[in-house]
Amino acid sequence: MQSLVARSALKRTPAVRTFASSAARLQATPSEKPVLNKEFKIYRWNPDTPAEKPTLQSYTLDLNQCGPMVLDALIKIKNEMDPTLTFRRSCREGICGSCAMNINGQNTLACLCRIDRNPSKDSKIYPLPHMYIVKDLVPDLTLFYKQYKSIEPYLKNDNVPEGREFLQSVEDRKKLDGMYECILCACCSTSCPSYWWNQDEYLGPATLMAAYRWMADSRDAYKAQRMERLQNEMSLYRCHTIFNCARTCPKGLNPAQAIAKIKLELAAD
Amino acid sequence: MSSTLVARSLVNRNIASAVVGKSLRPLAVQVRKSHSDAAYVPGGPIYKGTVNDPTTFPPPSRIHGSYHWAFERLLSAALVPMTAATFVTSGTNYPLLDGILGISLIVHSHIGFDCVLADYLHKRKFPVLGPASSWALRAATVGALVGVYQFNTNDIGLTELIAKVWTA
Repeated sequence: MQSLVARSALKRTPAVRTFASSAARLQATPSEKPVLNKEFKIYRWNPDTPAEKPTLQSYTLDLNQCGPMVLDALIKIKNEMDPTLTFRRSCREGICGSCAMNINGQNTLACLCRIDRNPSKDSKIYPLPHMYIVKDLVPDLTLFYKQYKSIEPYLKNDNVPEGREFLQSVEDRKKLDGMYECILCACCSTSCPSYWWNQDEYLGPATLMAAYRWMADSRDAYKAQRMERLQNEMSLYRCHTIFNCARTCPKGLNPAQAIAKIKLELAAD
Repeated sequence: MSSTLVARSLVNRNIASAVVGKSLRPLAVQVRKSHSDAAYVPGGPIYKGTVNDPTTFPPPSRIHGSYHWAFERLLSAALVPMTAATFVTSGTNYPLLDGILGISLIVHSHIGFDCVLADYLHKRKFPVLGPASSWALRAATVGALVGVYQFNTNDIGLTELIAKVWTA
């Protein structure tokens, strides 16, 4: 159809090629990509019908008409197939931590997780495991944030130098590398079996790494108090070095190492 | 499409709140209200305080904290050379080593089982079953200690027994 229009336009103005006629014919025809259908099975639960059990709903997408990441697929499904599908997303580049979910059995960020292009295998998408669900892929992270707040994640020092920067040596700054990058997506905490069973008392890897980030900071003056609070059976010592946290972290951090350092410092204290 | 859905859910909520007999307040307020009314269950969906309150810590105790952890790790590490030593020597010649190994093994397993109970049958979630299983574990540990003492003093002892079973 388009080529017909172009051709007739060319016939009418043979001498000068106008802007309107700009030769769709002369351009290389875009190669038609083959259809690559892939099935996505997505956890659905609606709070408006709480008596209905959660189900896996199946959506089939043409991967050649979709972006490379799982988040692209989710957005495409929401835009074009089912506007009721609910999930959190914001930055689409792995820095906000909103789109944390369980994709093919692994907690990760949907925006950093490539779609497996094997069309014979379906892709299963669940919310973060062992959390209370608000709707579909949206977990309730209230307790997670309350726990993060409990470790006082800010610099505490009563003798802050006035009128100048609070300096830190290069070596001291290096101690914070691998911890300050945490975006609190809750992938690690919700992958931890100990956190599954004792979520109300055990802080979980994300919060404990944040706790150690402030213990390790040379500018913080409340290290002793921070350590004292963890001296109980539940807050820290429910960690059994399972290492799911280090394996699942979509940012490649190692919360297990931070927890091990807390344990060592508490034992040496 | 989505606007009709939103409208429908709003209607549902309004009907629901009218049924409960409350005025048409925003939903969030009602949720928070019902949260503070409902009983707190450990591990349940209802949290203590408001969303802006941080969680609290149990009272600090080094016995349950770092001392417990350090003792457990040192004991586990010590069991390795201790077990190796009993392979080299004989329990009959070194009854003290035999006794220490027996006690260490039992304490090690007691701590391990105690950890399992703290994980899965904590008394905050299981007010009856939790303490009951803790006391059952303590009784079993005491029984095992008495048994090892009797066996080591009146019979051939742990190391000799394992050596005999090994070569049997």
